[in-house]
Amino acid sequence: MQDVFIGFTSITWKMLVMYGIGGVLIWLAIKKQYEPMLLLPIGFGAILVNLPLAIAWEHEGVPGFLRILYDAGIANELFPLLIFIAVGAMIDFGPLFRNPLMIFFGAAAQFGIFATMIVATLLGFDLKTAASIGIIGAADGPTAIYVANKFARDYLAPISVAAYSYMSLVPIIQPPVIRLLTTKEERRIHMPLHEKQSPQWLRILFPIVVTVTAGIVAPISVPLVGSLMFGNLIRESGVVERLSQIAQNELAYLVTLLLGITIGGSMSAEKFLNWNTILIMAMGLVAFIFDTAGGVLFAKLVNLFLPRERKINPMIGACGISAFPMSARVVQKMASEEERGNIILMQAIGANVSGQLGSIIAGGLVLALVPLLVK
Amino acid sequence: MDGLIETLRSANSTVQAIGVSVGGFVGVFATLAFFFIMIAAADRFNKD
Repeated sequence: MQDVFIGFTSITWKMLVMYGIGGVLIWLAIKKQYEPMLLLPIGFGAILVNLPLAIAWEHEGVPGFLRILYDAGIANELFPLLIFIAVGAMIDFGPLFRNPLMIFFGAAAQFGIFATMIVATLLGFDLKTAASIGIIGAADGPTAIYVANKFARDYLAPISVAAYSYMSLVPIIQPPVIRLLTTKEERRIHMPLHEKQSPQWLRILFPIVVTVTAGIVAPISVPLVGSLMFGNLIRESGVVERLSQIAQNELAYLVTLLLGITIGGSMSAEKFLNWNTILIMAMGLVAFIFDTAGGVLFAKLVNLFLPRERKINPMIGACGISAFPMSARVVQKMASEEERGNIILMQAIGANVSGQLGSIIAGGLVLALVPLLVK
Repeated sequence: MDGLIETLRSANSTVQAIGVSVGGFVGVFATLAFFFIMIAAADRFNKD
């Protein structure tokens, strides 16, 4: 008789909390439209895996569908890399080619990764886990998953949830930090628009050179950089338009769906509900704040050396994070609010795509450097 | 270089994190600076 009611008798308070967390993620996706394509499946996956007996994960030694997806796409890092092919096919480096100086903001805004890594070690995490937590500051879900999977698999779920949640909260996180660090006058700086078109040979050569360079600087980053740049090469070659469209649409949507529900499926109450999860979520927010501050302060530093007519609107620095194109939109909206008709979107997008480059390079360097110091 | 890595290996995790941060941050700037030079050179080449 007890077996009939096993579903009721095996429910624990931790499971109920996880239903609540899954519900909040679904609510954020539907009601607030925060990254709905990810938060919705993550939320549902979190509920699924915490149902009594966790049949969707594993039952009597037989893997359930979530476990099969996890082994097929997360444990071997396939899903993040497929997402990168899709992202690469979506990225237009044209705005960066028109404003190449913007590339440095893609480096400066990685400050959050490294600052948060140091903070995480101060809080007692070992170097590999701290590096994985810092990578939340890459503002780049696939890179965060890729690094966490290599260095801190036990914390994959909270790190992924933090990365995607804060990416969706960029419109809330960035503006107060930008306002705190800039004056009204600085936020009103106009920047000239460069109309020149970049030659196609540069657009084709760029992904190849970036891949080769990354392969030499940090060979371990090749899967990350290579898949992103392969997607971009498909886009820019101009001869495989159908493949480019499939990568941008069907591939992106399908893998996002599978990635989301699988990450949700890794959020079992035993692994997720602990003090470290709270710390990781808090440090993820710190990483985004440090990123934004790093980019803005770097822009202000550069301005010290530029003549008055060539000064950079320091809000552009905040776009050096990889949350593309949301960060650029946020900054353009702020510029318009400060002064109607102030258009800095192209420069912001240039910095934003640089952030994508900066984040995978940073991820690759972290993957290369950390194992030199700890086994 | 090997000496520095050996020193960091025996240091505590915060010092190691600072080492990785310095190396990583410099590495990101240097790599993107290389891309900047490449784009700028392509732009110059295209004008000529």
